[in-house]
Amino acid sequence: MRLGHSRKKCGFTLTELMIATGTGGVVLAAIMASSIALQKTLNAIDNYFATQMQQIRIIDYLNRDVKRALAVTTSVDLQSVTITLPSYLIQAGDPEAIANPSLVGTARTPTISNTSSGPQVNYGASTSTIIYSISGMSILRTENGSVTMVASSTDQLVPQTTDVELANTEYARTSVTFQPIFTSGNLAAERNGTTLFSTAYLRNKRRG
Amino acid sequence: MEQRFFRLLTFETNGAVKGLVRWSMKMGKSSKKSGNVLLCALCTILIVSAIAGTVLINCTTRYNVASSQVQSWKAALQAAEAGGDIAYAELRKTILDPSNAFSGWTSSGLVHTSPVTTLGSANLKASSAVDLFYNDAVTGNPWYRIRSKGVAPMLGLRRTGMDDRMISGARGDSLLRKIDFNYDHFISAYGPNGDGIGKALVAVSNAQLARRIELIAAPITPFEAAIKAGGTFYGLGSAAFVDSYRSNNGAYDSTVKNNPSDWRYPDSQSGTVEINTAVATILGSIFGNVYTNGGTVTKKTTSISGIIDNNVPFDLPPFKMPSTSTWNYVASPSEVTGNTTITPPVGGSAASPSYYLISSFANNGNLTVNPAIIGGVAQETYVAIHVTGDIGNNTSSQPTITVPAQVHLQVYFDGNFQTKAQNIVNTSGYAGNLQFYAISPTLPNGAPDPSVQQTINLNSGGGSTAGFAAVFYAPSANFTINGGPDIVGAIVCKNFYANGNVHWHYDRALDTMGDVVDYRIASYVEDIR
Repeated sequence: MRLGHSRKKCGFTLTELMIATGTGGVVLAAIMASSIALQKTLNAIDNYFATQMQQIRIIDYLNRDVKRALAVTTSVDLQSVTITLPSYLIQAGDPEAIANPSLVGTARTPTISNTSSGPQVNYGASTSTIIYSISGMSILRTENGSVTMVASSTDQLVPQTTDVELANTEYARTSVTFQPIFTSGNLAAERNGTTLFSTAYLRNKRRG
Repeated sequence: MEQRFFRLLTFETNGAVKGLVRWSMKMGKSSKKSGNVLLCALCTILIVSAIAGTVLINCTTRYNVASSQVQSWKAALQAAEAGGDIAYAELRKTILDPSNAFSGWTSSGLVHTSPVTTLGSANLKASSAVDLFYNDAVTGNPWYRIRSKGVAPMLGLRRTGMDDRMISGARGDSLLRKIDFNYDHFISAYGPNGDGIGKALVAVSNAQLARRIELIAAPITPFEAAIKAGGTFYGLGSAAFVDSYRSNNGAYDSTVKNNPSDWRYPDSQSGTVEINTAVATILGSIFGNVYTNGGTVTKKTTSISGIIDNNVPFDLPPFKMPSTSTWNYVASPSEVTGNTTITPPVGGSAASPSYYLISSFANNGNLTVNPAIIGGVAQETYVAIHVTGDIGNNTSSQPTITVPAQVHLQVYFDGNFQTKAQNIVNTSGYAGNLQFYAISPTLPNGAPDPSVQQTINLNSGGGSTAGFAAVFYAPSANFTINGGPDIVGAIVCKNFYANGNVHWHYDRALDTMGDVVDYRIASYVEDIR
């Protein structure tokens, strides 16, 4: 009630101001640090899930191609996969396409040939080849020379595939791992914790 | 300076306190300073909302991908494969239950189109089309193509779209999972059959994922092993053997099976015996594999060059008379009595043979089937005979069947078959040129008749080693062969009994010979467009 009469007591002393400023600075620094950490965490989580989606995509691409394949061969380091599959669609440059360009992109009618191991279904005179490989941070799918990027992440996605040949069939076992960006010490366990497994069998009788 | 600064602070502070007091006492009156607080609050809400919105968009997109799009993409393939299975089952009915094959389907020419089948809790939809695209030139057996489409409805918000984020300029999921949000992309880009014909913009009621597969169903022919018994097995005699050769590589050579350095050796080790029960008494030598269903065959007690597997069950369905709709019916002769000769008017083909219906085959009947002569030249001639009764009806009967080279004869019989091995004369020596099919006994309603036991008895009279070249498909018949004939061919029967030193040579060229008895999926392709 007597505020109007004690001007000096209404203000702050320098000490008070310094304490207030210091406290404010600390609080501000904490807020800034928290904001940065929050942003980093958000980014890391976003990246983690984005990379998980790409893991699934790699597996789905591989499984789709292995199921319709005639043969699967993996490299020694298990990071490159070569898949041979029927040439179901007529491509530019194929004999049918040269004779009739409007056929490009349409499906072939299969033919039957007799081999020493029995009759065989053929789509065209030759087969198609798909190669999965790693290039830097990207996973590439090359179909008859045409390259498609299947996945790309700074989280170092690493697919590894082994092919197991059985009497008439074959299966490919794939695992895809990545190194999350907020890992503590680049430990192997942190990569292993992200592993996604998949096994796909050839639907066709294996050739070769 | 210091005093002025102090006063200024004091004044300002004092003013703030006054304002505070005024604000606390008179809240109904707003001030600029209270507006600042409101503005700060709104800004904070805006920032937090922006962050929350970003998080929500990311979460929803990834949730949509992980829980809806990936799931639907995989479910669509399951639906497509279910459609393929349905079509395959209908196709098998053309052999096992012809009157009900493709029932409820729409047929146009050589194409059968299924109705849409809804399956699963996710209301997946499967539809398929089956078309005959190839006839084997040698056997006339049809090959079918099955095209199946599976559709999975996609849950989740369509406005959320797809997770296409990867790096600038590269598409992610949309290259793999082609979702029809508003229109069927396949029909608009490639037409309903994928051949570029009939492209149209077709709206979809709900977002969906469709996948398409193409299967090729290949005919299974009956003679994939030397001897196949659905019941018990006894034989072939202590000095007997079963081996193999490939007639495409020349005539049979008895030395090859024991000479691994011979280039024909791999084809000599396919004298395989398959038995669908545990009752298997193996005598003699088997140059091939032996399979039983629960048997105890071991290499210690038998002479078997190949694999022994006592856990190989198989299905041997009854045999029904195939459709004769594409065959060229010839009315005469209708009986075989005494010496009877058939000379078809045309050569025909495996798919369209000259067809004779024989109501009686006498015990002393001697049937000779000659090639068709056109322009004075003997033709490759395809003949089918359906004997509606027995061919010989006691063990002393001696009906004969003679088939010159260039004739491909198929004999279907409803009853029993009894004669001497040497009375089956196949001049070409190629077993595929003389095929016997025992039609399984059935009740009036078409079901198998267990009260009738069909038999095939072949004896070698007088110790003769003369044999024959022929194949038998008799899944319901007991087969008995005595003596020591030299046989080229294969047999499928119910119970098998051989008591003698039979020399049995399986021709690997028989792998693909004979009437279709079932189908198998020989090719799988997914149309990823």
